[in-house]
Amino acid sequence: MAGINLMLRMGSEFIGGVVVGFVIGYTIDRLFGTTPWGMVAFLLIGTAAGTLNVMRAAGVVPERFPVEPTADDRKRSGEDDEES
Amino acid sequence: MTGRSETAAQRELAKVADVRTDPIHQFGIHKIVDIQVGGVDVSFTNASLFMVVVAALVVLLLLWGSSRKAVVPGRPQALAEAAYEFTANMLRTSAGEAGMRFMPLVFSLFMFILIANLLGMVPYFFTVTAQIIVTAALALLVISVVTVYGFYHNGTHFLNLFVPKGVPALIVPLLTLIEIVSYLSRPLSLAVRLFANMLAGHITLKVFAGFVVSLTGLGVFGSLGAVLPFIMVVALTALEVLVAALQAYVFAILTCMYLNDALHPGH
Repeated sequence: MAGINLMLRMGSEFIGGVVVGFVIGYTIDRLFGTTPWGMVAFLLIGTAAGTLNVMRAAGVVPERFPVEPTADDRKRSGEDDEES
Repeated sequence: MTGRSETAAQRELAKVADVRTDPIHQFGIHKIVDIQVGGVDVSFTNASLFMVVVAALVVLLLLWGSSRKAVVPGRPQALAEAAYEFTANMLRTSAGEAGMRFMPLVFSLFMFILIANLLGMVPYFFTVTAQIIVTAALALLVISVVTVYGFYHNGTHFLNLFVPKGVPALIVPLLTLIEIVSYLSRPLSLAVRLFANMLAGHITLKVFAGFVVSLTGLGVFGSLGAVLPFIMVVALTALEVLVAALQAYVFAILTCMYLNDALHPGH
């Protein structure tokens, strides 16, 4: 069960990158008549992006911006603690 | 000649077996009220009906829960409060206190997906979230909010999101391009994940249920054999209820994480 969930998560992350890369490359080719170079280049970039997505999802590469509570947040959560 | 009669017989068999064992049949869209506006088909379908039902259920549940406003909550109020607290904590921990301004969006998304998934588990009901167009619309809504708010809140500073830090200047353009594609792939993976989970779950369930039907048709031994897939169906139903709740949670928490990017692009 956890396996299926993980598979679908990682799969969608990876395929998302590749498909978006393909669509961008294909659109560029259609617009500028550069077939097939735009598609080739963006498929490669898309694959890299998909790999990045998977590595982020797996926690190998850190998230872009881990939540660091700002001073304002800390103050407010401190108030919350006092209330409760 | 025999080939043709065989296919005719098979077709007859397929017609009988169709509704009971066809795993895809449940995802069919049927028009209930045919509406055409300027040549565009905006008919009220079974999918529309179930979306209305889901939205109405969410509203009724919360109205019921908030009607008494007791200090010691009754059952409906405890449920509504638990749902609110759960979403609020999720949003606060993953997007900070500033993320709380998106509470209405995240809570609506979470409740809609949760109720839609759970409603899909009722036999003969239609699963709205197993339609990719529905999940795609939800994912596009999320990513539009993140992008528009990111630019509104941070201006061009939002673009820092795409520039990785601490890498040699030579490969920064390439990595930026990869980050942009990665960002654009988010709505796709968000939509596909929910859709694929619900679709795969319901198909698996239906396939095993179909085994029960087919095996029972084979007489006594078949009926005995049908016990095995039946056990599987029971186990899978429990699993699918879990997946229904889990996927609503996953969709909501990813929304929170993306909102965090819009609120704090690169400190």
